[in-house]
Amino acid sequence: MKQEDTYRLLSKVLEILKMMTEAGAEIYRVEESASRIFAAYGVKNADVYATTSNIIVSLELDDGTIKTHSRRIGSIATDIERIDRLNSLVRRICEQKLDTPQIDKEIEYIKGTPTYPTIVNILFYGIIAGAFYFFFGGRNIVELLFSAVIGLITGVITALLGKANTNKFMVKFLCSLTACLIIFTLKSFSVVTSVDNIIIANIMTLIPGIGLTNSLRDLFVGDSVSGILRLIEVALLALAIACGYILTTFIFGGVLL
Amino acid sequence: MNYADMIIQSVTALVGTLGFGFLFNIRGKKLVFAAVGGMLAWMLFLVLEPVAESEPLRYLIVSACSTTYAEVLARILKTPATTFSIITLIPLVPGGALYQTTTAALDRNTEVFVPKLIYTIELAVALSLGIVIVTAIFRRFVHKKV
Repeated sequence: MKQEDTYRLLSKVLEILKMMTEAGAEIYRVEESASRIFAAYGVKNADVYATTSNIIVSLELDDGTIKTHSRRIGSIATDIERIDRLNSLVRRICEQKLDTPQIDKEIEYIKGTPTYPTIVNILFYGIIAGAFYFFFGGRNIVELLFSAVIGLITGVITALLGKANTNKFMVKFLCSLTACLIIFTLKSFSVVTSVDNIIIANIMTLIPGIGLTNSLRDLFVGDSVSGILRLIEVALLALAIACGYILTTFIFGGVLL
Repeated sequence: MNYADMIIQSVTALVGTLGFGFLFNIRGKKLVFAAVGGMLAWMLFLVLEPVAESEPLRYLIVSACSTTYAEVLARILKTPATTFSIITLIPLVPGGALYQTTTAALDRNTEVFVPKLIYTIELAVALSLGIVIVTAIFRRFVHKKV
């Protein structure tokens, strides 16, 4: 392979790795994908170091020149369909040794991966909150309805603030604060009898459960840096959610606690 | 726990997992398998109660079984195992335990807070250990190009 081609390939591979990481792929999958692609193209010395905040790939070519390239990772949002498509693309690149214009076309295609309409996502925030209200042992129809409505409201907040690129800790805090304020208000007017199940149900839609599992998995697999980065993020997100709850209990202080 | 509660929990686990499938952009029949997996995981958790009373132990078993389900499906449907492995464990995410930990901390109730915190960590670690062990086995012995 010619040197310029290798350079162009390097840049495309990094683009793929960046998209994979930002869609929430495991770090070992990201590193393995790169190694496999370069092996398929006959680049012998390819070194990949990926974390959830940046990716570095260093190549040593046969004539001794060294090329290193790195990319900063933006915010991570789980998008399974995108990971799936990127994964198939990597497999196809290895099998068919696509050239860079072809890879480019595929990347553009994957950038247009469809997502569900925002309204559907908002609706499912409500449905999840309703389902988990029952799941955690709530059996009151009025409380179920309120749980679902509060879920819808947090869905709307997440969608609106997500469009405005708001800091994600702020988003979680505001969602949790709004949800808790509504629930405690309902409680103080005796519309609902217990707050626990509604709060837990709504926390389930906010809580970074996937982030926590991902982080521990990275740690146990040996990708310590990514694991710790994710763990800190999860802890801060959980703290942001807790702050919303704490602030609410302060506001309602004398009444309930 | 009576049968009515078990059925309600299983159905709501299905709906909840399905909901997260939408939020994480799982599409087509993969969405169906993911949601059913979530329900099966929770049913297994309930069924195992007489056998293993310890919840962290059951979390470990269920998480190992879920990951096996995910790895097998991943090979059949030619998609990364992540598609199913994490989403099927959604009903097991220790949201309730985390909430109780937080409220105990707020009440300055250290007698409840410390055991609850340890318990939450136990559940989370059991969950991820199950994934890690099974993934390692699959990668070592059944490794094909994924």
